[in-house]
Amino acid sequence: MTLEAHSAANDAHHAPLRARLIHGEDLAAIVLFLALAIVPLVISGYVVYILPQYMLLGLLAMSLAILWGYGGIVSFGQAAFFAIGAYSIGLVMKYASLPVNPAYIGILLGTTGAGLAALVIGYFLFSAGVRSTYFVVATLALSIIVEQTVKSFSNITGGWNGLYVDRMTVSLGSLYELSLFDDMPMYYTVLLVVFVVYVVTVAVMRSPFGKIVIGVRENEDRMLALGFNVPAYKTLLFGLSGLLAGVAGAFYATHANFAHPSNAGVLFSTQVVIWVAVGGRRSLIGAFAGAIIVASLSNYLSSIKAIQNYWPLLQGLIFIAAIILFREGLAGLVESLFQKQKHASAP
Amino acid sequence: MTENKKSRSITRRQALGAMAGTAAVLGTPALIRPAKAADPIKIGVLSPVTGAWTVYGQAHSRGFELAVEEINAAGGVLGRPIEMILADYQTDQRLVVEQANRLLRQEKVDLLAGTFSSADRNAAGPVVKAADKILLYPTWYEGQIKDYYPGVCNPNIFMFGPEPTQQVWPFMEYMVSNHGKKFYMIGSDYAWPRVTNLFTKEKLQELGGEVVAEVYIPFNTPQYESVLRDIREKKPDIIFHSLTGSDTVNFAQQFHAAGMSKDFTYWTVDDEEVVTSGLGPEVSAGHFVSFDYFMTISHPNNKAFLERYKAKYGPDALMNTVGVGMYNAAHMGALAIAKAGKVETAAIREGLKELTFDKAPQGPVKMRGLDNQIVVPSYLMKVRAGWTSVNDMFEEVQSVPSVEPKDARCDLPL
Amino acid sequence: MDTLISVITDTVLITLVLALAAFGLAIIYGLIGVINMGHGAMLTLGAYFTWSLTRHGMPFVASVLLSASAVGTVGLVFEHLIIRHFYNRPFDTLLLTWAFFLVATEVIKIVFGTDFRNVARPIEGAIDIGIYRIPAYRTIVGGLSILLILSTAFILYKTSLGIKIRAMVQNREMAGLLGLNVAFMYKCVFGFGSFIAGLAGGLIAPMYSVDPYMGNTFLVRSFFVVIVGGIGQVLAGTLFGSFTIGGLETVLALFSDQVIAQIAVFFIAVVLLRFRPQGVFTGR
Repeated sequence: MTLEAHSAANDAHHAPLRARLIHGEDLAAIVLFLALAIVPLVISGYVVYILPQYMLLGLLAMSLAILWGYGGIVSFGQAAFFAIGAYSIGLVMKYASLPVNPAYIGILLGTTGAGLAALVIGYFLFSAGVRSTYFVVATLALSIIVEQTVKSFSNITGGWNGLYVDRMTVSLGSLYELSLFDDMPMYYTVLLVVFVVYVVTVAVMRSPFGKIVIGVRENEDRMLALGFNVPAYKTLLFGLSGLLAGVAGAFYATHANFAHPSNAGVLFSTQVVIWVAVGGRRSLIGAFAGAIIVASLSNYLSSIKAIQNYWPLLQGLIFIAAIILFREGLAGLVESLFQKQKHASAP
Repeated sequence: MTENKKSRSITRRQALGAMAGTAAVLGTPALIRPAKAADPIKIGVLSPVTGAWTVYGQAHSRGFELAVEEINAAGGVLGRPIEMILADYQTDQRLVVEQANRLLRQEKVDLLAGTFSSADRNAAGPVVKAADKILLYPTWYEGQIKDYYPGVCNPNIFMFGPEPTQQVWPFMEYMVSNHGKKFYMIGSDYAWPRVTNLFTKEKLQELGGEVVAEVYIPFNTPQYESVLRDIREKKPDIIFHSLTGSDTVNFAQQFHAAGMSKDFTYWTVDDEEVVTSGLGPEVSAGHFVSFDYFMTISHPNNKAFLERYKAKYGPDALMNTVGVGMYNAAHMGALAIAKAGKVETAAIREGLKELTFDKAPQGPVKMRGLDNQIVVPSYLMKVRAGWTSVNDMFEEVQSVPSVEPKDARCDLPL
Repeated sequence: MDTLISVITDTVLITLVLALAAFGLAIIYGLIGVINMGHGAMLTLGAYFTWSLTRHGMPFVASVLLSASAVGTVGLVFEHLIIRHFYNRPFDTLLLTWAFFLVATEVIKIVFGTDFRNVARPIEGAIDIGIYRIPAYRTIVGGLSILLILSTAFILYKTSLGIKIRAMVQNREMAGLLGLNVAFMYKCVFGFGSFIAGLAGGLIAPMYSVDPYMGNTFLVRSFFVVIVGGIGQVLAGTLFGSFTIGGLETVLALFSDQVIAQIAVFFIAVVLLRFRPQGVFTGR
């Protein structure tokens, strides 16, 4: 089979499986979140510290998955929105003295700021019918513009030296206050946020909105002919994607205690693409898990002296394999595994 | 079809492997941790082995490695060997946070050393603050200002590289009297060049000079035509240069290609051995460079040091101020632990304060207790015309055996 | 007046160097619709091959030509093994060429090491105009850039191969039905585009720091050059796009600082992307 035919067969293969994929996805999601919930009770130390960061990177990957897997739009600029979220919380916590918990304001600002920016840019480009392939280049430019801007206003943002961000506190007015300085409270707060965002995102993508977006991906002209305002849907999708990335960035900054222009850069943006390619672009839980797995693997392998210098090369090769052979990523592999078991058990 | 069968078995294996991989990663710490605490004193080293600044990573980690070897050969510290655990943060600040935490929490190191740029160090600042562990930082930098706490002004972070009042001030008078009063400042757009220029301006104005222009360039700018034109128009005497990375090379090459090398004096505070090697002998000839260490300085400590260094890494091996910063950090860290009598952060902090190290390759150095800043010699060198390797690259113009820096702008004492 | 002459010569040289760097991408993107994200890596490869060859004593011109051929070959192999299966899927070609960049950059680091390298300028000296001196080598590269564009124009418009390629660009299906070997021509274009990228890399190597990421500086700028100039407008478009991107940055830098100028240029490019007509190419 030629590579082309193989991929085409792959794609056709997965269309009718959507119903099965959804159930499979829910099962996988439940298993994964349960596992994540149990981890700190079983293991202590570094893992409990680092997993929230990876979960947030998973959220960032999801922001690309809804755009790419559902909408068929690749973006090399998700990091730009991530950085907007990160710097919003950082700057608010540093400079603002408010009666309300500054972290809440920061998160709100970062999320809505990122979402709004995405909406505006999306509207600007999609309303003119900018084709998706050009759109990619524009998102590349976006990453660069945000990175440069953050670097330039260095007396406010710290520029290339970065910005220190405190660990936030969770508070209910003056009644209750929980500092997220320690690993456990931070872990479960992030897990809760990520879980809620995941559930909401899945709900949105399974709603009529999501179905229309998929329709646009499958056949844009037909959707236009059917009277749908395609640019509006693309814009909304991009806005949602920006919002998700912004949430991820805001919590990430307070977790890592640091925001940096490289959070916005092209290299980070493209790293997100790799995560989603490996994890599975059409599966939100796949993209989520993909980020966690690749980031963990990267962390582990870069500490082994023999492999250190070769890991980036290996990543590149895995990426190629993911595009050519494993188009649905790990999620697709797991799915075909279950599918085969079903066939095996059928009479 | 055979093809399907093949992909099926790969698929199953792959899927299971992926799931096992996650479990393995999560379970690794639990599996590998030995039952009782290990004997060696563990020091975690954060180095840019790969990524954009991989050019600096080698000298950086080798300096530390050589020192550890020497310390262990002499019997270790408190009867225990030192174990260096190297972590590559791929020149990514996000990964500095990740790896610093891994070293502290998983590898359970006793202290940290390294990071390269100020951004990297600032990313590690909160980590060492929260974990209450020490970081030994080797690179020349912009000095400490309270605003950037906890990356600076942090009692747990010790600076082994010079700051502008040590790198630039000692030679201002010489440069101004011998080469002119008008400075054209060009630097990369971030804190180190800006603050360095700030201090330089201060001293320059004291000496009656002036800054004809102060230009900041974004990273990865390939074309410098407009800057070169500006320089010609403003007619400075000295080009004071603090660009970094490949921009340094791009600017220097275009400057030279435009025939401007003979018309202006070129003073750089960035081009150590790595960058000057990249420039080549033609472009770099005649440049003035100032640092606390050069391979070609003639101090007896340096001869002995380079002999040992080259014996281990080869006759062409490169060393620079950062590598020596790491080397000094390792030795002084060991001395501090020995002085303290135990491997405990507060004790090591005390041990480091006012500690002197006479065997430093550039000459004796001292760690100032007031603000955790190293007191080092300072050298003004000129790039030799027609140099052939790092071994004959620089010739000494002026030197000062010890430069007491200005007090850090923190709440002192640290 | 001197300033004006200087600004003009600077702008012309910047435009021509940028045009040279972007030309390989313009060819590939313009003629066969592949968004070659590996373009920067091909530039870098050309520079490294040139460095390696000149270091072993080969004369500069021969080194550059051999390097360009090597990069062209690498491009052809990559096209044959991977890219040609994905021509009707522009996203995948985009991602695969990006993967090419990732892999190629790492291989360069492993094979050539990570130190800053430099290639000696083959021609020293400068040309005097008034009180200003323009580097001789840079001027020659500028001249070569024009020559290259004109030669490609000749090939495209005056040779039978060129006519066939243009026919294929207009309507791929028709061209195939009319008996043209479409697959072969795609190979020619991809190989030629890679060759040009390698050539550009080798030629500009003496002017810049040769490091594993040097091509990336030109990657995004090249994209903007092609988009602003118009996809498919390979010749006039590349020049116009280079002039816009390169010249704009120079002019803006006169009035504000470099950082603002760069941000402004990218911003304007995105705006132009929206308003610019789609170019000759449709239906991909």
